Amino acid sequence: MFSYTVRRVLQLVLVLFGLTVLLFVLLKTMPGDPARIMAGLGATPESIEVIRQRLGLYDPLYVQYWRLISGLVNGNLKAMTYHKPVWTVIMERLPATAELGVAAVILALFVSIPAGLLSAIYRNSPVDYTVTTAALIGISIPVFWFALMLMLVFGVILHILPVSGRGATLFGWSFLTVDGLRHLIIPTVALSSVLMALNARLTRASMLEVMRQEYIDTARAKGLRERVVLIKHAFRNALAPVVTNIGLQVGTIFAGAVLTETTTAWPGIGRLIYDSILRRDQSVVFGLALFMAACYMVSYLFVDLLYAYIDPRITYD
Amino acid sequence: MRKLLLVLGMSLVVFGLVAVAQTSVPETPGAKVGGTVTVGVGQTFIDLDPRVSNSVYDFYIIDAVFDDLVGLDQETLAPIPFVAKSWETAPDGSETTFYLNEGIKFHNGEDLTAEDVAYTFNWIVDPANGSPNATEYEWMQEAVVIDDYTMKIINKPEWTPYCPGIVSESAAIVPMDTCEEMGPEQFNLAPVGSGAYKFVEWVVSDHITLERNEDYWLVYPNLDKVVFRPIPNLATMMLELEAGGVDIADNIPAQDVPRFQADPNVVVQQMPSLSYFHIGFNHSHLPSSDVRFRKAVGMSIDLDAAVFSIFQGITGIRAYGVTPAALWANDREYLQANATEEDDAEAVRLFDELKAEGIIPEKFETTIYCPLDPRRVQLSTILATNLQENGINAQVQPLDWGPLLDLLYRSEADPLGEDFEIYVMGWSGGPDPDNFIYYLYTTENATIGTANNFSWYSNPEVDRLVKEAATVPGCDQATREALYVEAQRIAFIEDYCDVTGYHYIETQGVRARVNDYTLNALGDIEFCSPQCNVWVDG
Repeated sequence: MFSYTVRRVLQLVLVLFGLTVLLFVLLKTMPGDPARIMAGLGATPESIEVIRQRLGLYDPLYVQYWRLISGLVNGNLKAMTYHKPVWTVIMERLPATAELGVAAVILALFVSIPAGLLSAIYRNSPVDYTVTTAALIGISIPVFWFALMLMLVFGVILHILPVSGRGATLFGWSFLTVDGLRHLIIPTVALSSVLMALNARLTRASMLEVMRQEYIDTARAKGLRERVVLIKHAFRNALAPVVTNIGLQVGTIFAGAVLTETTTAWPGIGRLIYDSILRRDQSVVFGLALFMAACYMVSYLFVDLLYAYIDPRITYD
Repeated sequence: MRKLLLVLGMSLVVFGLVAVAQTSVPETPGAKVGGTVTVGVGQTFIDLDPRVSNSVYDFYIIDAVFDDLVGLDQETLAPIPFVAKSWETAPDGSETTFYLNEGIKFHNGEDLTAEDVAYTFNWIVDPANGSPNATEYEWMQEAVVIDDYTMKIINKPEWTPYCPGIVSESAAIVPMDTCEEMGPEQFNLAPVGSGAYKFVEWVVSDHITLERNEDYWLVYPNLDKVVFRPIPNLATMMLELEAGGVDIADNIPAQDVPRFQADPNVVVQQMPSLSYFHIGFNHSHLPSSDVRFRKAVGMSIDLDAAVFSIFQGITGIRAYGVTPAALWANDREYLQANATEEDDAEAVRLFDELKAEGIIPEKFETTIYCPLDPRRVQLSTILATNLQENGINAQVQPLDWGPLLDLLYRSEADPLGEDFEIYVMGWSGGPDPDNFIYYLYTTENATIGTANNFSWYSNPEVDRLVKEAATVPGCDQATREALYVEAQRIAFIEDYCDVTGYHYIETQGVRARVNDYTLNALGDIEFCSPQCNVWVDG
């Protein structure tokens, strides 16, 4: 297991390096001069020139690439428009997305796994139809529209939740304050809707698959109680693909966060991506893409390792 | 993008002393002290340093944190005393001397003196600083300190006098020592001004909080706090306004205006803005350099219907010339009476004539370029549909600012802009016709890499009239108006240089609990200025 982990970490570093090259080429081939955009309409040629010089846009490409990489590694790569280092900008926003993502995953798990289980156990019953229909709706409804509906109902009509924003925070976390917690509810429900739907369907499918296995029949034949058969024998084995899926949902969370955070004015990584692309802040876009890719890869690695723990038949060495 | 919001208009540049009134704020009966106002804005803030910011949203904050050298009368758009209690212009218009109010302090306790004012101006015009606002001061040579509370601004000889105006909002006064000590980046993050509200915190993308400046020199500001919240999604912003999460929301869409007008908790404020949007043509190559082509395009579209469908008769009106309807020298009646209106038969005849002459090549296809602004996309789409019906294969290509500016600014390799014939763009300016016609229709502004005259429209007579209007000795408004009117008639009637589109009407939703707040034509949000001191009920 140890050598496998080391091998995967080395692979991760290599992939990240390749990604930096790819991202750099993409950024440099994107149409539009960032200096012109930053200077705005009506700017003088002199001011555009000063901005180009300041951004080092005349340096050879390898110098610009090295500046990006070394700046990212030692943490002092300056954002073009935020007047702060890129990592500072990202880290300032990370808690907002982290708590939203974690809350969404927890909510999704609490709802989707029992729902998927019930749906599988009571297959072709009204419970099953209700869960599968709800899951279909959850997958089909666009996140931003669902968020707007939640805001309309709970914020405008019922006046029981704030419409948008993050509210008060304590040590940078909103879930530590009542006001922040109230602000967290709508974006969490909106973001988790997709996760809930996916996980419920997956749990159901996985459980149905496992329940068809012969060892389940054996367990029942041994006289075990149905509850023990379902939870100890079926559910634990059905959990592996679900856990994998949760790990892979880091990407879904980031993608969903762009829409959810923009719609609910939640100041996280999703909003940062949106704002940075509009501002043409290449440094932040570069840093964010790398950061998200790293998160994605680490979560993949973590899932693979967790897999071995959940399913003792899996070994990597 | 914010451009050219010149606040000190031509009435300043006359001979002798102009403004002698003391800077003051009218008292509002029943005004209450205390409370917070929350403002929802469409984008995140970028630069809070007035010397380098060019975003209209940043200026919402800047207007509250900093004081301008002169104010702007919200009704007449004329300059009024603010930091400068009076000013006088030399008889030849070569310089203007400003006499400042004494006792103004920055939020850090430093005195605001003539040195700070001169520093602010000189910093912006210094090319080494790369201020994007330097273009507003092309006419200015330098600012000079006379004594602690007197300074003057000297014009370049070729811009003497300079009638359109000599001070911009981008020159909100900054403290020299603090700026030098903090450097531009730190100053951007924690600005120090002398305005009615002090900067408290900036949680990026979430909010900016300002609090009352207890020692404000002009008046005791009524509000405890002002909070600005960037809300990028317009639908969310409307819900927040309805729920009371924000007290002021800008850019109310036309379809939401009737709903809010019926809501007793919200007051919809509207003001014709100083803006102009148009269908432009590339004058550097055929067929768009041929006036018959431009007229045929203009005759293909029913602009009244197009503008109505975009704004539903609520948030925009049709333009007939470049000067907004809210501004003098707009010559609206004449230009409307002589406007080229929809005439499909004549358009088809002209297109056929141009095709027969080979000016429109066989299998001609054209693309209408515009920014990712829904209104301009809509206008472009209507035009493309109408052109298709009249035998011209046209499609719409909305572009992000980067590629769009690359295209329209042209390059040394492609000075004629071979890749475009038609575009839809816009412009926002200050309270002087020069801010529009000079930048968009003079040869001086048709340069590779930074052109504002994207068409490269060039008529020496228009150039002469516009320059003369900006430098009329004595700056007599009637004389200037006659010159701008003549220039516009040549550009829009004789040369048919482009198809005039629309002027936007600024529309904000304000919760009824907010008092003494008035929207102005520049679209500014002012809480405490020589003309208002906003307060809230409850």
